[in-house]
Amino acid sequence: MSLTIESISHPSHHLINLSGEVDTKTATSLMDALAELELAALLELRIDMADVAFLSSAGLRALLFAKQKMPYESRLVVIGANTAIVEVITKTGLTEAVTLVADVSLLS
Amino acid sequence: MDRIDSLPTDNICGLRVRPGKPLPFGVSHVPGGLNFSVYTSAGERCTLVLFHQGAPEPFAELPFPSHYRIGDVFCMVVFGLDFEDLEYGFRIDGPYHPEKGDRFDPTQILMDPHARLIAGRDVWGQDPNWQRPYPYRARVSLDDFDWQGERPLEIPMQDLVIYETHVRAYTQSPTAETAHPGTYAGLVEKIPYLKQLGINAIELMPVFEFDEFENSRLHPDTGERLYNFWGYSTVGFFAPKAGYAATGKSGMQVDEFKQLVKSFHKAGIEVILDVVFNHTAEGNERGPTLSFKGLDNKTYYMLTPEGYYFNFSGTGNTLNCNNPIVRSLVLDCLRYWASEYHIDGFRFDLATILGRDPWGAPLSNPPLLESLAFDPILSSCKLIAEAWDAGGLYQVGTFPAFGRWAEWNGLYRDSVRRYLKGDAGMVGQIAQRVLGSPDLYRMSGRAPATSVNFITCHDGFTLADLVSYNDKHNEANGEWNRDGGDDNHSWNCGAEGWTEDLGIQQLRRRQMMNAFAVLLTSRGTPMLLMGDEFGRSQHGNNNAYCIDSPLTWVDWTLLKSNADLQAMVQALIAFRHQHPALRVNRFDGPPSSLLPCSSFHGPTAWQPDWSGESRQLAWMLSCDHQTPAGDPAVDIVYVATNMAHFASWFALPAAPEGYGWQLCFNTGDNQQPILRDQPRIDSGLLVGERSVVILQATPLPTPMG
Repeated sequence: MSLTIESISHPSHHLINLSGEVDTKTATSLMDALAELELAALLELRIDMADVAFLSSAGLRALLFAKQKMPYESRLVVIGANTAIVEVITKTGLTEAVTLVADVSLLS
Repeated sequence: MDRIDSLPTDNICGLRVRPGKPLPFGVSHVPGGLNFSVYTSAGERCTLVLFHQGAPEPFAELPFPSHYRIGDVFCMVVFGLDFEDLEYGFRIDGPYHPEKGDRFDPTQILMDPHARLIAGRDVWGQDPNWQRPYPYRARVSLDDFDWQGERPLEIPMQDLVIYETHVRAYTQSPTAETAHPGTYAGLVEKIPYLKQLGINAIELMPVFEFDEFENSRLHPDTGERLYNFWGYSTVGFFAPKAGYAATGKSGMQVDEFKQLVKSFHKAGIEVILDVVFNHTAEGNERGPTLSFKGLDNKTYYMLTPEGYYFNFSGTGNTLNCNNPIVRSLVLDCLRYWASEYHIDGFRFDLATILGRDPWGAPLSNPPLLESLAFDPILSSCKLIAEAWDAGGLYQVGTFPAFGRWAEWNGLYRDSVRRYLKGDAGMVGQIAQRVLGSPDLYRMSGRAPATSVNFITCHDGFTLADLVSYNDKHNEANGEWNRDGGDDNHSWNCGAEGWTEDLGIQQLRRRQMMNAFAVLLTSRGTPMLLMGDEFGRSQHGNNNAYCIDSPLTWVDWTLLKSNADLQAMVQALIAFRHQHPALRVNRFDGPPSSLLPCSSFHGPTAWQPDWSGESRQLAWMLSCDHQTPAGDPAVDIVYVATNMAHFASWFALPAAPEGYGWQLCFNTGDNQQPILRDQPRIDSGLLVGERSVVILQATPLPTPMG
């Protein structure tokens, strides 16, 4: 299965809409999309995963890669991830780097 | 700039390849591809076998061309593989002469001995597909993790309080109330409890990949499935057990286990692994061929002249630890866990096997033990030996330590158990044990912390069972109660097993408190068994290696029902941390400014009764130290034990001038064993039957004006 990536810039944050599966093959395109951003100056990155069915270990690393490039006080928000993805992010301790929200309306 | 060796040179089976590098062994990421490297001294041909994840048949089999071999190592880079979807193995062709030790069989697919991620037993207890070829499949790990600057804690050995735990047993019970029962993530949820208890090292029973279905069988009477529950039978030395990971199904056990270590370190708790290098899961000549047997049987295993397997481990085979190849495998493995997982220490199961030569004879200067002791990467790791094996070698006190190794002190366990139940002739033994066993370790220049003091461990009765059963009750193991040791030195306090008799219940509770009081006021390194602090029972089973049921799972409701015992243990651990006199790590420790470093007493101060019938002994420990504010201070602790069935008056040694005694614990006081207000005691006190009291001497308040 493929991955569709939509990257939208907002004044207060940057939004990436993902649709499909993030595995070894597709994580590369996500990494490429992330590399195009000026992560070092980005204070908030939102990744909408409501339409992502599967996130592999390589996908997790893409998220961590982005957070590591962002400023210390920044936040990386994952929106609408399914239960399986939330479980993986939680159990591997990635919640230290990632803020999980069920819905965009929950963001201040 | 791209490296000039990052492009393929050949094409095998439609895959682009080039000659690889022999080191590191196993699989490693290189630009654009994966480097595979495997060693075999007598194998003649090698084939790399590649599977898509979970596929029954391989999608490619790549024979190594002859020029892809350097020395005895076959190595190849394969380009363009999806490492997350990949499972791999090797076929090795060579002579099949079991009588000469060679068991090459190219029909078998062999697991990489350096595999860092293993698939096949991803969810604990899920019935495997027994027909599937190549049951345990090597996968490719990324070996990256965001440690955020965290590093091993390096707590001095003498300051440790170790807590032995089984990952699954600790949180599998619904009473544990964890979101992820029986897993690494579940254990992480219990960190706040462990931190509050006060322990600062957790020792995990085996977490290297093993197969819970190894020797699995049904109980002949009950039909209940019996497992390899404890896991003392390694399948892969470099891989964390997937079935213990809540994320094992997604192959993320590496990340989950690293997260566990990171979380424990954040809480100030070290992580020690129980490692099993004495044998593998391949059994004897009737056992399966999984890896080593087919890679290089006579290198990896100790063999008789006829080619049979020596069985010093009691489990079928014995790893040939002092062969240079195996030695380097063990060293690679421990370095990997220390550097990649930030592990703080290792406890070696049946460690005397690591000191045997290829024919089984004990070596006086075993190269493996020496290498581990002086290894630069392991230099701050704790090394703890279980200094005996199933072949009859018992080296407690004589284990080749090279100034580095600590030992599980089996004699401490036996002496304290016998003293607690009132055996005659034990006070001399106890005097040695509470000082860190100088009779065992002083002559060889070792220190008290060499002695890992324990009264119970996974192997044997739990503490509650030690005071509730005279005999083992192992019927649940399906071996008609023939398995498990008979030398338990236990006493049921008047009735075998569960009883309504309140007097017996009270005595048992007191005996458990006595055990903890002695353990936590002994010099050396104390170790507790999970759940003992709140009276965990296995209903008299002293060898529950095969039981995966509420019998072995920690019952957390006991934390409430035995809250007084747990509070006592917590207070005793805090007391140990507060009192450096209990942690002096020298046998010839200098006297403090006011008192000897250690002294023994009886009912009469300064006059211990060493006679065979004596069941009373007190010890006073003292040292100079600095307060947290940096002021000089003297620490003084006095412990009086009375294991007779009658109360005894103990006259206290006179406290130094300006100091006075304060009573901190009295196990004989059923209502208030912990004396929070620490009342002053003058000349002496009555120590009840089978009781322990603990006092500290502190400066008397200066009179006002």
